[in-house]
Amino acid sequence: MRKALFSLLTAGILILLTGSPALAYQPVNIVHTEHVQAGPYGITVGFSVWPLRAMQSLDFTFVPDEGIVGKSGTLLRSGPAIRGRNRAAPLVRHPRRLDVWGLDVESLNAPGTYTFTFTVAGAKGTGKGSLTGLTVLAQPGPPMGLSWAICAIPSAAMIIFLVLTWRRVHPSRNLLPLAMT
Amino acid sequence: MSPPNISPGRTGAAVVLLGAALSLVGTTWDIQWHVDVGPDTFFTLPHLLLYSGSAVSGIASLVIVIAATAATRAGRTVGPEAGGRPVRVFGTFSAPLGFLVSGVGSASFLIFGLVDLWWHSIYGFDAVLDSPPHIALFTSISITMVGAVVICGSARATRWGRTGLLISLPILMLYSPITTNAFNALRLPFDAASAGMVLFVVMLLVLGRATLARTGAATAFAAVLGAMQLALWWFAPWAARTYADAVGLPLRDDVGGRPPQVPASIPMFLLAGAVLIDLAVWLGARNHWSARWVPQVAGAVSGLLIAATFMLQELLISTRPAPVAGQFVVETLIGGAFGAFAGFLGWRFAGVLRGEQPPAAAPVLRIQEAY
Repeated sequence: MRKALFSLLTAGILILLTGSPALAYQPVNIVHTEHVQAGPYGITVGFSVWPLRAMQSLDFTFVPDEGIVGKSGTLLRSGPAIRGRNRAAPLVRHPRRLDVWGLDVESLNAPGTYTFTFTVAGAKGTGKGSLTGLTVLAQPGPPMGLSWAICAIPSAAMIIFLVLTWRRVHPSRNLLPLAMT
Repeated sequence: MSPPNISPGRTGAAVVLLGAALSLVGTTWDIQWHVDVGPDTFFTLPHLLLYSGSAVSGIASLVIVIAATAATRAGRTVGPEAGGRPVRVFGTFSAPLGFLVSGVGSASFLIFGLVDLWWHSIYGFDAVLDSPPHIALFTSISITMVGAVVICGSARATRWGRTGLLISLPILMLYSPITTNAFNALRLPFDAASAGMVLFVVMLLVLGRATLARTGAATAFAAVLGAMQLALWWFAPWAARTYADAVGLPLRDDVGGRPPQVPASIPMFLLAGAVLIDLAVWLGARNHWSARWVPQVAGAVSGLLIAATFMLQELLISTRPAPVAGQFVVETLIGGAFGAFAGFLGWRFAGVLRGEQPPAAAPVLRIQEAY
């Protein structure tokens, strides 16, 4: 029995250690695309969820017509949820699709209209173009107030526990002295 | 033959503490993984570490509660060494307070883990730290860590109790900025997350000083925390990169130059803040000043220093732009105000912790005798 358990445990650990978790990562499934012309470069903007809803995270892909090799660029996002982040971020490879630029599991956290502005530099020079009128609908799920109320239960329970123990001991009435042994 | 000198209280405390440490390391690793690498599943190693932290603490708490209940039913008295004052639960169980708290934290982690799965089914597999279910999970882990503090604080008369407190309190302090992230959602005109961090670290330093009742105790807690912070500063990026190599994933293109996220959100100059607390209490005791106001003053000066140096730290490691002079002054003063409140709370919560368990008054019987 002990031997069987040991074998089972060893097999489990080996599967965990040697299996390739990379294979288990969700692929980037693009369900909608838009086209942006940034000077001499055409860019296909891909979305893994469509239509977009506030707070719902998705994968974005940004694919120049002739690939990303030999090119660099920046992305500037603007819209209702983009606060204080008016600096352009470098375009980087999508961690789960290394042949294209992208953003992984990103969400736009307020409904409204957004603009993505691309600046791309490559052999044909530098080009700039924007995807305008990107509409983000209202958030799915229950109102945030309700979600926060449910998820504040552990904090509320902790506070109630502290108040109850405080009232039991009355630490202000029986204050600990500064000099204690 | 006399039984071996091991009490279930001590063994239980060690296992709960191990669980708390696993939760801290798992969370730090997972956050760094998202920053440096990205791709995520339910079964990544940092996730498994996180889940096992709460599982280990929860199972240890349950075992001790059952053992304490059996001991009580056999007519024996369970003393504070077993993890705190016994509390009747559901009219059946006799749960030592500290293990009850740590167990409730673990159970809450399990429940809000399910809420988190539901959340991801609606909002996608987002990697935001301060979503409501994530904050509930972090609070649940913090509750388990509070349980570890209560367990060790209740056994402060023993060496293992004091050693356990020297480890459990810094673990809770290190974890607090992860939870106070939620304060950012309040959209206050000041950095609410940093102010919350000052409140928690100063309160816990004052609580530790008053619970151990030893000169220099706050400094000792801050020194242990500094050593843990240093270890995590090295570990988090190393673990993220090593694991990425092992599973054949590259680092993100924009990684580089940024400090590890969790260790960088802990004040580096905490030791100086702790020295100020020790100094204020020592001066107060020497000059027979009143304990009604000295902890608040100690907390205020410590809060001022920690808030000011934390802004300096963020500037040094480039995690936020330089504050303008007015903002620097306002946030420092807010740190002082939160520090004063933290001093008030910390000294009195130590009174609660000590008052729940007057070691001289409670009959002590190790629950191993029930076996």
